[in-house]
Amino acid sequence: MRVPTFLKRGTSGLTARRFADANPLRTLGPGSVSSVLKIALDVAYVLLALITAGLLILFIVAIFIPLSDLNIVVSDDSGGRAQTLTRPLLLFGLGAFTAWFGGFLLILRNLRKIFRTLTAGDPFRPENVSRLRAIGLILAVVTAGVWVAQGLVAARLAPGVMDSQGLGELLTPIFSVLVVFVLAEVFREGARLRRESELTI
Amino acid sequence: MAIRIQLDRILLERRMSLTELADRVGVTLANLSILKTGKARAIRFSTLDALCRELGCQPGDLLAHEPGPQETGVDLDPDDA
Repeated sequence: MRVPTFLKRGTSGLTARRFADANPLRTLGPGSVSSVLKIALDVAYVLLALITAGLLILFIVAIFIPLSDLNIVVSDDSGGRAQTLTRPLLLFGLGAFTAWFGGFLLILRNLRKIFRTLTAGDPFRPENVSRLRAIGLILAVVTAGVWVAQGLVAARLAPGVMDSQGLGELLTPIFSVLVVFVLAEVFREGARLRRESELTI
Repeated sequence: MAIRIQLDRILLERRMSLTELADRVGVTLANLSILKTGKARAIRFSTLDALCRELGCQPGDLLAHEPGPQETGVDLDPDDA
């Protein structure tokens, strides 16, 4: 009894293919939703890289070129008021934005790699576990950094311009970070099952 | 691993090549090699059924248990180590 080659059992990506066959809207594999999202991530990554590079150049220029203080008008409900843009405030602002964009650039870098495996129809690669953990860690650092920076601006650098953030505003980021870490563990379990499935004949 | 697949001996007795068996059973040659070399973690009943049918033997003819140290086997999750 000869069995055609295409009917022979393979192991790699078997679960992903079964899943894709059961769904009318293909979410994994070439030409699926994942591949469209991957293209969107690629575009966003390039744009974010350009913005980050631009901000980094501005930051370096701002360090070496002496700037005289500028008066800018900050709008609020009661009308505009003058705020002196001091050199430390400018450097801090540029540095903070560069770090913020840089953090999201790193997140996108990891996301692109994850989506590359989804497009290949093989999501449970062991590398995806560390990528997801890295995303969770960067997300935690970036959101904590934003919270601290906003507090610093509100309290020291430009009092009155920005409201200080409360602890309640940290709830959503903490929840998101925890969800990402849980997802990383889900992927670890998936990777373990994948390895077991690969060695089941 | 304490469980050994005695595929070599049976194939020799039947004068059958691994490629031919792979073709008959419907398992890729690569997977059958994994089974033959003892790297497999588990075997499906359906695969065992097909092997016994094509080789005209019983599961007991294919599998043997060799007493030895606790299985170290394949590390399924190196991160847990």
